[in-house]
Amino acid sequence: MASLRSRLLQVAVPLVQSHGFTRQALANSALHLPTPHAEPLSETAVSSLFGEGDVARRTLIEAWLDNARNEMRSSASNNIKDILTTRLQQNEPVLRLLPEAFAVLASSNSLPVLDPRPALSHVAKVADDACRLSGAVETGTSWYTRRASLAAVYTAAELHQLTSPETAYSFLEDLLQKSETLGRSFDEVQLFASYVGNSWAGILRSRGIIS
Amino acid sequence: MQAVSRSILRSACRSTRPSLAVLRQNHTEANPRQAESSSGPRTTHFGFKTVPEESKESLVKNVFNSVASSYDVMNDAMSMGVHRLWKDDFVSSLKPGRKGPMKCIDLAGGTGDVALRILDHARENYADRETTVDVVDINAEMLKEGYKRFKKTMYHNTPQIAFIESNAQALEQFPSDTYDLYTIAFGIRNCTSIPDVLKEAYRVLKPGGTFACLEFSKVNNPLLNMLYDQYSFSVIPIMGTILAGDRESYQYLVESIRRFPSQPDFAKMIQDAGFATGGNFEGKGGAWRDLWGGIACIHTGVKV
Repeated sequence: MASLRSRLLQVAVPLVQSHGFTRQALANSALHLPTPHAEPLSETAVSSLFGEGDVARRTLIEAWLDNARNEMRSSASNNIKDILTTRLQQNEPVLRLLPEAFAVLASSNSLPVLDPRPALSHVAKVADDACRLSGAVETGTSWYTRRASLAAVYTAAELHQLTSPETAYSFLEDLLQKSETLGRSFDEVQLFASYVGNSWAGILRSRGIIS
Repeated sequence: MQAVSRSILRSACRSTRPSLAVLRQNHTEANPRQAESSSGPRTTHFGFKTVPEESKESLVKNVFNSVASSYDVMNDAMSMGVHRLWKDDFVSSLKPGRKGPMKCIDLAGGTGDVALRILDHARENYADRETTVDVVDINAEMLKEGYKRFKKTMYHNTPQIAFIESNAQALEQFPSDTYDLYTIAFGIRNCTSIPDVLKEAYRVLKPGGTFACLEFSKVNNPLLNMLYDQYSFSVIPIMGTILAGDRESYQYLVESIRRFPSQPDFAKMIQDAGFATGGNFEGKGGAWRDLWGGIACIHTGVKV
């Protein structure tokens, strides 16, 4: 059943720490079921359930990312910094594996070029979840700008974390502050633009050019 | 070659030959008589006809007996040899022997097409001479063909191959939790009860064992489907008439393909039998993989 497959994936996620994002982690998941198998799943079985070759690894990476976001959702605070910090903490145990994992995701199509979409969708999902958790209820343009800026902040923080895990959290805080300033100036620019627009409309209307 | 001969006979699950396979795409037509079966004795379908359950086995047997002598020719003629490519693809995607020897069972395997490919794959790629295949078919004639064919290979008289006559729906002589890999190619469609076949498959497989089924399926591209329908319902019966002098049997083969459940429905049946499958979609990591736009399809499941 599909649910059996997701149960295997669930069991495989904690195995990433010891086995990496590998087919072996998926194969060993059978050993950790409530009724454990005598031996790991065969190559044939892993391919049948999770796809051939690197497709299976990608399935595992996606499952791991989903799981990490779930953990983020369990964060008690609704402060955006705490939420993103929780998410960054999830990376810590597997930090050394992440560059390769993102590389596997980026090589996800058959073309010999790097596909940035999986990485973008990863940060977009994190940003979206974080926004919802923080209880923000934007509409219109700010819905997009807030998510875009959070995604950018989170991407930068995550990249920073890969090279310098210790300073990642202060880096995140710093970025969030800056992006807030940036967001405010963006809002101000918008406000100013609408003043200019309204004045022009008033002038044109007074001349009878528009009604 | 092997492929050609074997398929015709397989009875329990006798498969229609691959050759026919080419033709079949038209699953679209619902069986017009299905509704009639609600009252009276239990019925099943035989092509587009509804027949009592107990008579399907003998009807299918008749079909395969009547096409057997010309089946090889027809098979390759109608599929233009494509069934061989599908079988190659089927076996190589399973990678038998990759991580050590496997104990395999090939249902409706009559003439040994799939069995031979499994043994060759394991030997040529992984130097594995320990993988074994039990070929099971309901039709003894087909098994004889397979036995004869294997005498021409290095596997004859080795523990690597065995031929056993049995019904896929009742594998009584096989103990539970025995096999690593269960294959059935172009056979399950001809069985009276697909859920019973799946139940037995689940029983004989070890935990972690894989079920793999190659079968004609539904074509989803409307244009391709139109062509396939034309070919199935016009060209194949005519070829059957000319080459084999038997229109009815080939008509059955075409119709039985249409009656087979669609890819998602069959995947659901596999899940209902207790197997874990890939996601409910076609392709990599999914529960099934279409070949040639869905003319044939590979479904897999794992006993967890």
